[in-house]
Formats: sequence, C-alpha cells, structure tokens
Amino acid sequence: MKKQISAVLSALLAVAMLTQCTKNETASTETSAAADRAPAAKNDLVIGISQEFENMNPLIMTMSATSYMYRMVGRTLVTMDANGKWYPQLAKAIPSLENGTAKIVDVGGKKKIVATWEILPNAQWNDGTPITCADFAFALKVAAAPTVSVGEKETFTQVEKIDADPANPKKCTFTYEKAKWDFYALAQFYPLPKHLEESVFNKYSKQKEGYEKNSNYTKNPTMKGLYNGPYVISEVKLGDHVTFTPNAKFYGPQPKIQKIIVKLIPNTGTLEANLRSGTIDMISTLGLSFDEALSFEKKVKAEHLPYVVTFTPSITYEHIDLNLENPILKDLRVRKALLTGLNRQDLMKALFEGKQEAALHSISPKDPWYTEDPKKITLYPYSKRAAGKLLDEAGWKMGADGYRVKDGKKLSLQFMTTAGNKTRELVQVYLQDQYKQLGIEIVTKNEPARVFFGETMKKRKYGAMAMYAWVSSPENNPRSTFHTSSIPTEKNGWSGQNNMAWSNPENDKLLDALDLEFDAKKRVELAHKILKHYTDDVPVLPLYYRSDVSVVPTYLKNYRPTGHQFAETNDVEKWELAGAKLN
Amino acid sequence: MSTYILRRLIQTCIVIVILSYVCFYLMTLMPGDPVDMMISSNPKITAADVTRLRSLYGLDQPAYVRYGHWVSDIVKGDLGYSRTYRVPVTELIGPRLTSTFILSLTALGFSLLIAIPLGIFSALRPGTKTDYIVNFFSFAGISIPSFWLGIVCIIVFAVWLPLLPAGGTQTVGAQNMGFWADVLDRAKYLVLPVLSLSLQQIGRFVRFTRSAMLEALRHDFIRTAKAKGLPRQVIIWRHAFRNALIPLITILALSISSVFSGAIITETVFAYQGVGKLTYDSIVGNDFNVAMVSFIISVAMVLLMNLVADLLYGVADPRISYK
Repeated sequence: MKKQISAVLSALLAVAMLTQCTKNETASTETSAAADRAPAAKNDLVIGISQEFENMNPLIMTMSATSYMYRMVGRTLVTMDANGKWYPQLAKAIPSLENGTAKIVDVGGKKKIVATWEILPNAQWNDGTPITCADFAFALKVAAAPTVSVGEKETFTQVEKIDADPANPKKCTFTYEKAKWDFYALAQFYPLPKHLEESVFNKYSKQKEGYEKNSNYTKNPTMKGLYNGPYVISEVKLGDHVTFTPNAKFYGPQPKIQKIIVKLIPNTGTLEANLRSGTIDMISTLGLSFDEALSFEKKVKAEHLPYVVTFTPSITYEHIDLNLENPILKDLRVRKALLTGLNRQDLMKALFEGKQEAALHSISPKDPWYTEDPKKITLYPYSKRAAGKLLDEAGWKMGADGYRVKDGKKLSLQFMTTAGNKTRELVQVYLQDQYKQLGIEIVTKNEPARVFFGETMKKRKYGAMAMYAWVSSPENNPRSTFHTSSIPTEKNGWSGQNNMAWSNPENDKLLDALDLEFDAKKRVELAHKILKHYTDDVPVLPLYYRSDVSVVPTYLKNYRPTGHQFAETNDVEKWELAGAKLN
Repeated sequence: MSTYILRRLIQTCIVIVILSYVCFYLMTLMPGDPVDMMISSNPKITAADVTRLRSLYGLDQPAYVRYGHWVSDIVKGDLGYSRTYRVPVTELIGPRLTSTFILSLTALGFSLLIAIPLGIFSALRPGTKTDYIVNFFSFAGISIPSFWLGIVCIIVFAVWLPLLPAGGTQTVGAQNMGFWADVLDRAKYLVLPVLSLSLQQIGRFVRFTRSAMLEALRHDFIRTAKAKGLPRQVIIWRHAFRNALIPLITILALSISSVFSGAIITETVFAYQGVGKLTYDSIVGNDFNVAMVSFIISVAMVLLMNLVADLLYGVADPRISYK
C-alpha cells in the first residue's frame, strides 16, 4: 500500500515538476545526471546492457544476459579464459588421462570415462555451507528430471553418476556416459545448493515445471546460500536491473568493486546518452551494435571522452549458407565462383574499418584448431577473372544485359537475411554490387528475425543464400552444423543447423571420430581434415568473424572481454576502479 | 439502467472469451515457438531435447487443447508462468502494470490539464493570432514522432543540462532512503517520459476540444443565452462546454482504455518498466501466458471504458437515457 501511495504521489509530483519546469531551469545542477544513482557511490560500477534477462537458476537460464550476470555470482568446476584455455575454478585441478585422475573404462563393451574432481576446500555457498559432490549430484538429478525444462540436457546427462569419497565429501568421482576427449569441459554444469533446493525439488518435482516455478532462485533470488561466486545478488528487478555486492564467503580474492549494478536499457540508440549522462558507467558486450560502437569511438576520439571502445575478435562466425538443393548451387563451380568473386578484405575495410576479420572458414583464429595453411585447406583469394572463368566453365555465359544465362535462364539467386539488421543489410548491398560485376543477379528478400529463424531457416525454405551467424566455442565439434544427421527435417523435429543440407559421408566419419580422439595433435589433424572438406565443397561462403564491442571507462582496469560464450564476468573479481572519479 | 449495465457486462465477457481464443489461435500461427527460439540460440540442442521440451510445454498439442488448459488455469486464478523470464506472470505483470498506469494516467491528466483550457481558449478566439499559434503547436505536437522527442528530451535534459535521469523507473536503492525521498525520486524519473507522451496527447486534445467547442458555440441556444444577458463564464462552461463534452468523453474513454496497454516506444526509449514493452516482447518471444494476460487486460479496458463512456453520455446530456 505504501508503495502505491508513493507511486501516486510521485505522479502528482511529476506533474508539478512539469508545470513548474520553466521556473526551474536555473535550478541547481547538483541534481546532476549522476545523481540519478544512489548518493555517495564511491566504489560502484553501473553496467548497461540492452538484452533482456531472466531469473537466475543456473540450470534453467538460457539468455546470454543472464549467463553474463550469473558468472559474477556462480562458479563451477572449470571455465575458459580469454585465450580459449580451460582452467579450474571450483576444482583443484582439471582431471586428465595423462596424470591418472581420469581413465577410460570398459563397462559391458561400452567405453566410459571415470574422472576424479576435487572441489577447493574453501569453496562454499554464501551462507557458509561447503560446496560438496552432493551439490553436483543434486544438479544432475534435477536436470535429468523430465518435469524440469533444461534446454540442452546433455550438458548434465553426459555424466551418468557422481559419487563422493566417503572420507572426503569434496572428492567426487564422475562417471561419464561416453568416452569423449572433452569430458572435462563442464563449464555449464553448475552445482545447485542441495541444502536449500532439495526440499523444493522433492515437493514439486512431479508437477510440470513445478521445480522451476517454486525454486528459491525464482521465489527469493536474494536468499543467502544460493550463490558461490565473488558477488551475491542483493536486488533483482526483472526488466530493469540487478544489484551485486561482494560475497564475503567467496573462495578466491575479494572483489575490489563494492557494488555492481547491471542495468537494462533496451534501446541501443539511447545507451550512449545514458553513458554520457552518467546513468551508466560502461556498456557491456551485450550493448551496442557494431556500427554504433564505430560511431561512438569516433566521438570518443574527437571529444576526448574518458572511455575506451573495445573491439574484441570473437568466435562468432558470420557467413552465407548456400542451399545445396538449389539447382544452380548444386554445381560446385558456381559455389567456388561465388567465393572467389567475393572480395572479403575490401568488405572488411569498406564497412568495418578493418575492425572485424575476414573469415577463411568456420573456425576463428582464437581457436587452437584454426589454420590458414594452404596445404591443409583450400583458400579462395579474390579474383574476378577466376570467378568469371569458373562460371564460364559451368555454362553460364555473359548476356547482353550484363547478366549470365544458361539454357535461356538468367543466373539469379535469392539472398535472404534478418530484416532490420543494419550491418547485414549493408553487407547484402555490397555483395549485390560485387556479384553484379560477375553477371550474377542477387534478389534480396529479408524477413524479421523471428520469421527468418523460426520458419525459413528452420525448414530450409530459403531460395539460395542466407546470411546469419553461428555461435560456438573453441575446440567445438561442428557436428550440429556439418553432419548429415544435423540436416533439419520434419522427422528430426527440424533440429540441427546443417541448413545447407551438406552431406559428405567422409566428413561425417571424421566428425564422429573427433569426439573420441584423445590425442590433442591427432584431434587438430582431424579438425583440419574436416576444414579441408568444408573448403573443398564450399557449402557456405565465409564472411567474417564478428568482434564483440564494449565501452568502458578509462579508470576500469583488468577488464578483458573474451570473445566467446564464457563472458568477461568470469574474472569480475579482478576488475578495479583505479583512480576512479566517481560521484 | 442496471439491466442495461448488466447486459453490457455480459456482452463484454462474451467478447473477451471470443477474442481471447482468436488471439490465442493467431499466436499459434506465428512462425517459431519457444523451442525454436532455443534451437536458434543453441545449436547443440538435440532432436530428443526438442521433442521433450515441446511435450513439456504442451506445444505438441492442438491450439484448442492448449487454449482449454490456459482457460482452466485462469479460472483457478493461475495466470501462468513466463517462459521468457521464468517467473509467474502475476509477479511479472503486477509491478509493470502499476508503473504503466502511473505513467499513462499522469501523462493523460497532465495533457487534459493543459489541452482543455487551451482548446477552449482557442475556440473562443477563432481566426486570431492566438488561435493560429495554438493550432501551430497542436499540429507540431501531433506530428512529432515520440521516439525522436524522447531521444531529444534525454539529450537536452539528461546530457546537456544534467537535470533529470536519462531512463529507468527508480534509482537503485532509493526505496530505502525514506518515503519522501522515494516519492521525489520516482517523480524525477517520470518527468521526461510524461513530457514525451503528453506533447502528442496535448496536441490531439486541443484540436478535439477546439472543434467541439466551436461546434457548440454555433448553436442557437448559445445565441439565446447571450441575448438573455447571461454571464460569459456561465455561457462558456454551463452551456457550451457541457455540450462539447460528448465527443470529448468518447476520446477520453478511448484514451483511458489504452492506459493499461502501455506506451511501447516511450517505455523502450526511457527504459521504463512498463507493460507495453513487456507485451511486445512477449509476442515477439512467443511468451504466450504474458501476451494473453496483457491482451485480456487491453480488451477488457477498451470494452469497459466504452461502457463508462456510454453511461457518461447520459450524465452530460439528460436527453440520453438507457432502457
């Protein structure tokens, strides 16, 4: 009731302020922009994001913004650093076959892995309860329950069972369902505080989505004991902001910033104004679009603003899928001509001022599997003449109107992407012009992202070319985009992302073998063989690897964007406001 | 009168039920469902995951079955669960509805406060300089796109003259600073969105008031009243304005009915936690439960406000009666 009264009074006051505003123009500037934050914020940081977030149950969350924030409050056994290297977080060390902490066992003719994970002795929940194997086993039990809507279940169910050492509840034996080399990559296998969540699960596990609706993460997200990271959540307002304060029980060094607020500003157009007015101190990688960042960087330089605009090469791969069921694109020579006639270097300079890197294939330079060795993969340097020759060989002859024809049919390709994405639409126009010079007509047809991904791409209804991005992580098996079994069909519920319908039995074998190869060197060789097929068959036109952009104040130190899905908040405790001139 | 109201209320309920099914069905026809959204953001989701999730969410059932489940939950008082935010709809929509109500009603009240006197003032001086100036600003107000005005307001009042916050609903932690500090803080955050929303409304209301008043002032009874020597204020307010009220009540009722629907653009530009943006996001994100509840509120408000307008016609004009 008090809240309602306060809201009504605020409304009246707002009207009063509006009617009096002309008189107030000379009013004190002490009510400065920065004053819209709580007073005397000497050591706080307000981060602006433009993407929505959901409740922070680590098993249920699916949004990037939630994951970005959760890494401030929740840690798990391992994670990946900005260089793409795995390192232990809650675990003492990463188990490996080499040091004997993991071994391959044969159970009934099936190869499995048994690994020993030891949790840090001082790792605890923020109510002081130690984190033990039981918390991981409980997370597995919840994730496996049919009534809980965990998105990618295999993240958890790849572990068959978790046993604790009777003498040490922090020493856990994980038995994995399959013997896969990346068994230790459990960066999304978060523990759940069994002492708080078990009673909820027991009570509601029989109801559809009963657990997630009644979990403490939903009902009482600031409850003590739900988090184990350097920060805890002290306030959540869905759709507005989340406040983080240091966790005194954190196992690592105490964070240096006393309060972090992540504030949602859904309109990217007003992010800059919010930054300049002091409403936010920085814009995270989930904020500005690339073109907005480029434009703001110019202003930073011209006006000597106290910000740094960071462009971090990421593993997000922007590309054009070629529909291999299209009669024109079935011809490999046409696909090769499209790639040879594409001047990617010039595109990067013209549109991105060289701040995004041209792609050779699907694996980014950040990935240990990356190669640009012409002995291992096929490269397609730009050559208009070579592209024209390939098209001539394919029977597409230049017509009088400047377009190529074959059997009386014009060489015309439909090119689709997400409508309203300024960067993609610019690339589309650029390519349309380049291909026109080759005698190829490009007919653009763009759709809202929801229709494009929800219907067109899902059911492979695009005519010839479709531009969008693939997001993955380093050393990721590209099975879901390259394997024949990943071609979306009605039979498999339109799952998988091999939207090109690329089928190469040799490549399928390599993809199957990749998961089971424990020798790192041989694994790289396998990855290169896969890339060889990929660059030979040209099912996709590689465009560029996206850069993650963020804007940080010059006083923020030790901030290191990662460029992959394990966000920079992974080491938020290292961030420092050196000589910060705050309000 | 009570029979009339009862009949209209029954009609309202029937219309809500029919429209809710139509809306639900149309939403099922939109491409993509919550599971498709998950697939596009996570290529590792397997065919087994897809089948399991579709069954868990009931997406494998026909629209009428899903609608039936939804209605039975609503009847039990369960508004459902947001699949986007992973919280019960009641928890999500309640505070946003209050915020939107405060924003829209304040903007409406402020607009009426300015527009009605200005419209009357202008109507009493047709063809004069004052009338032209009022008309000019009214058209300007109507024509300015609210997203542009919002951004300009932020640049002027938050960046250049740092007087007001650029966006949000409330300062983080302000609710713990005491009652009056909380009130003042919330009011500060309301000023720019209210200003941005009001300018358009003021323009519209000025135009309606002016034309309704001009129409009323042309009637014979006004001439008679003047001939009788009635005071000017009595002629304007008791005779002319009362007759000009009928069209104004219609416009006002429609404006009040949209109070709960929210102002998507203003809410987005000012990062204001309102129901308008929530509704838009829930439709785009296929968050059925949130979208349906927002839709029902909007439909119910339009229908109820029309009923209120019909009843007010009788109050404004005694010649109108309800049987």
